Amino acid sequence: MNAVPVTSGERTRHDTPGADTALASLLESLLAIALAIAIAGLILIIAGHDPLNVFSQLVDRTLLRSAGLEEVLVRTTPLLLAGLAVLIAAKAGLWNIGVDGQVLVGAIAAAVVGAWLVDASRPVLWAGAMLAAIVGGAVWTIVPALLRAFWEINEIVTTIMFNYIAISMTAWLVKGPLRDQTLVAPQTPLIPPELRFVGLGDTRVHIGLVFAVAIWIAASFWLHRSVAGLEVRAVGESPRAARHAMIPVTVVLAVALVASGGLAGVVGGNDVLSTKGTFQAEWYPGYGLSAFALVFLARRHVLALLPAALFLGMLAYGADVMPRAAGIHSAFFALFEGILLIVLAAFRWRPWRRKSGGHR
Amino acid sequence: MSVEAIATALIAAAILTSMPLMLAAVGEAIAERAGLLNLGIEGSMLCAGFASFWLTLKTDSVTLGLLIGAAVGLAIGLVFGTLATVLNANQVVLGLGVTLAGTGGTAFLFREVYGSDQPLLSGGPGRPFEGWFDWLPVIGPAIGDQRWFVFVAWFMVLAGHLFLVRTPSGLQLRAAGESPFGLEAVGGNVTMVRIGAAAIGGVFYGFGGAALAVVELGFFSPGSTAGAGFLAVALAMLGRLSPLRVALFTLAFGLLTGLDIGLQIAGVDARPEFLRMLPYAGIVIGLVALGRGVRMPRALGQAYGGISSRR
Repeated sequence: MNAVPVTSGERTRHDTPGADTALASLLESLLAIALAIAIAGLILIIAGHDPLNVFSQLVDRTLLRSAGLEEVLVRTTPLLLAGLAVLIAAKAGLWNIGVDGQVLVGAIAAAVVGAWLVDASRPVLWAGAMLAAIVGGAVWTIVPALLRAFWEINEIVTTIMFNYIAISMTAWLVKGPLRDQTLVAPQTPLIPPELRFVGLGDTRVHIGLVFAVAIWIAASFWLHRSVAGLEVRAVGESPRAARHAMIPVTVVLAVALVASGGLAGVVGGNDVLSTKGTFQAEWYPGYGLSAFALVFLARRHVLALLPAALFLGMLAYGADVMPRAAGIHSAFFALFEGILLIVLAAFRWRPWRRKSGGHR
Repeated sequence: MSVEAIATALIAAAILTSMPLMLAAVGEAIAERAGLLNLGIEGSMLCAGFASFWLTLKTDSVTLGLLIGAAVGLAIGLVFGTLATVLNANQVVLGLGVTLAGTGGTAFLFREVYGSDQPLLSGGPGRPFEGWFDWLPVIGPAIGDQRWFVFVAWFMVLAGHLFLVRTPSGLQLRAAGESPFGLEAVGGNVTMVRIGAAAIGGVFYGFGGAALAVVELGFFSPGSTAGAGFLAVALAMLGRLSPLRVALFTLAFGLLTGLDIGLQIAGVDARPEFLRMLPYAGIVIGLVALGRGVRMPRALGQAYGGISSRR
C-alpha cells in the first residue's frame, strides 16, 4: 500500500517505501516537479515555443508581481479544500473521484441559501450558505458511501457517475425550478458583492483563504490527534487489521467518504460566496483531477497540502495569464499537471532503497 | 415519419454512438481481467482521436486514421502497463494522470495545429452492406446500413471475448488478475502478461477514440469524448468484465441515451438536462441491482511484487 504519513519525529510502523522521513518525501516531490518541467519543456520545444521564456514568464506573472501573487492565493483556496477532501478519503483507502460533482451540488446549495438570506446579516448569510454547501456535498456522497461501505460497490465508479448526474441535475435546476427569471442568463439570484466574502486589506485575497487554512489545521488535528482520525487511517492501512482492533470499518468508511464530500461542498460554497456570487448553468470548475495532483504532490502528508496547493494555485493562475503573456494555451497547464501525476505515480519505484518484503 | 422509421433511426443511431464507447469498455474489461484498473481511457481516447483526425485530414484516408489511432492507443497502453508493473506505479493515480495529460495535451496541440479553426472531415467510411437486410423489419436497415468500421468493432469485441475465454493466452491473462502468484508459480511472467493486457486494452481505446472522431463525429474537438472513458470503466464493471456482456450493456446504454430524443419526438415534455441524468442514474441502479453479484479479479488494482513478496 501507499506511504504511511509521518509527523515530525514519528517513525512509520511498516517499512513501507514512501515516507521514511518527511525530508525524503520533500525531495521526491521536488524531483517530480523538476522531471515534469523537463518533459513539459521538451513538449514546448517540439511545439516551437521557448520553454525558458514560458517558465520565466510564468514565475514573473504569478510570483514576482503582487497582483499575480494575490490571484495565486485566491486560486489556492479552493484547491487546498479540494485536496483536503481527496486526502481524507484517501486516508481511509477510498478514491473520491466525485469531487467535481460534490463541488457543483455544494455550490448550488450555497447559492440558493445565500440568496435566500440576503436580508440577514453578513455572518448569518455566510454561515447559512456554508452550512448548505457542506450538507449539499455530503448528501451527494451518501449513496456512493453507503454502497461502498455496506455492499462493497467500487466508489471510483459510483462517484464518477454522480459527477455526471450532478452536472445534468444542477443544469436542470438552474434552467428550471431555481432560475432567477429577472436575469438574462440561467442562474440563481445574485448575492450582492457587499454581502460576499470580504477582502483581506486592499487585496483580491478574501477571507475564504483564512477559513480554508483554519479548516486545514483542524483537519490535520482531526486526522492525527483524534481517535476518529486514527480509526480512519487504520482502516486505510489495513481494513482487516482495523476490524480485529474492533474498529467499525463500515461506519468509518461511510463517514470518511461523506466527510470528504462535505469538504468538497465547501469548495463550491467558497466559490459562490467569494468570486461568483451566484450559480450559473454550464459552470464547471473541474477541481477534481487537480486535487489528485495536489494530494500526491504532497505525498499524502496533510501538512504538505498547503505548499502543494500554492504550487497548483500558481499553475491555475498561470493558465489564466499565460495565453496573453506568452501565447501558451491554458490547456498546457492541464497537460503539465497530468505529467506531474504520472511522474508521481511512477515514484513508487525506489531502486535506491532496500527492497522490503511484503508490499504489494 | 412512420413509427417504424423512427425506431429504425433510433436503433441505428444507438449502434453507431455506442460503438466507440463499446470498444473502450471492452478494452477496459480485458485490462481489468489482468488486474489493471486503467482510468486513463479518457486521455488515451482523446490522444488517439486527435492523431486519427489529424492524419485523416492530411491523407484523406479513414483507414490510415483509424490505424494511427490504434497505434497511439497501443503506445499509451504500453507506457501504462510498464509503469504499473515494472515501476509499481499506483494504477489509479497513473490513470488519472494519463487522463489529465491527454485532455490537456490534445487541447493544447489542437490549438497549436489548427488555431481557432474547427476543420471537418468530409464523408466517412463507406456502408458496404447498405440495403442487404431490408427484408428484416426495423432492425434490418438499422444494422445493415452502418459504416464498415461498426462491423469491425463488433468483430473485435467477439475476437476479444474468444481470446479471453478460449485461448491459453487468455487464461494467462485472467490468471494475472485472479491469482498472479499462481501464474508465476506455474512459470508465467506476470509483468509481461499485464503489459500485454494493457497494450491490448490500449488498442481498443485507441480504435474507440479514433472511431469517435473519424467515424461517428467527423471532427475532433478538445474534450469531445465527454466522459466516454469514465463511462467505459462503469460499463465494464456493469458487464462483469465479460467482453460480450459489456458490449451488450453498452448497446443498451446507447439505446437509453437515444431515448431522450425519442421521447421528445413522442411529445413528452421534459427538459433535456433532466433526461440526460437518466443513463448515469441507470448505471448506478444497475450496479446496485447486479453489484452484489459482481466479483472483480482478486488482484485488481494491486501492483505485483513478485512471488517473494507473498505473505
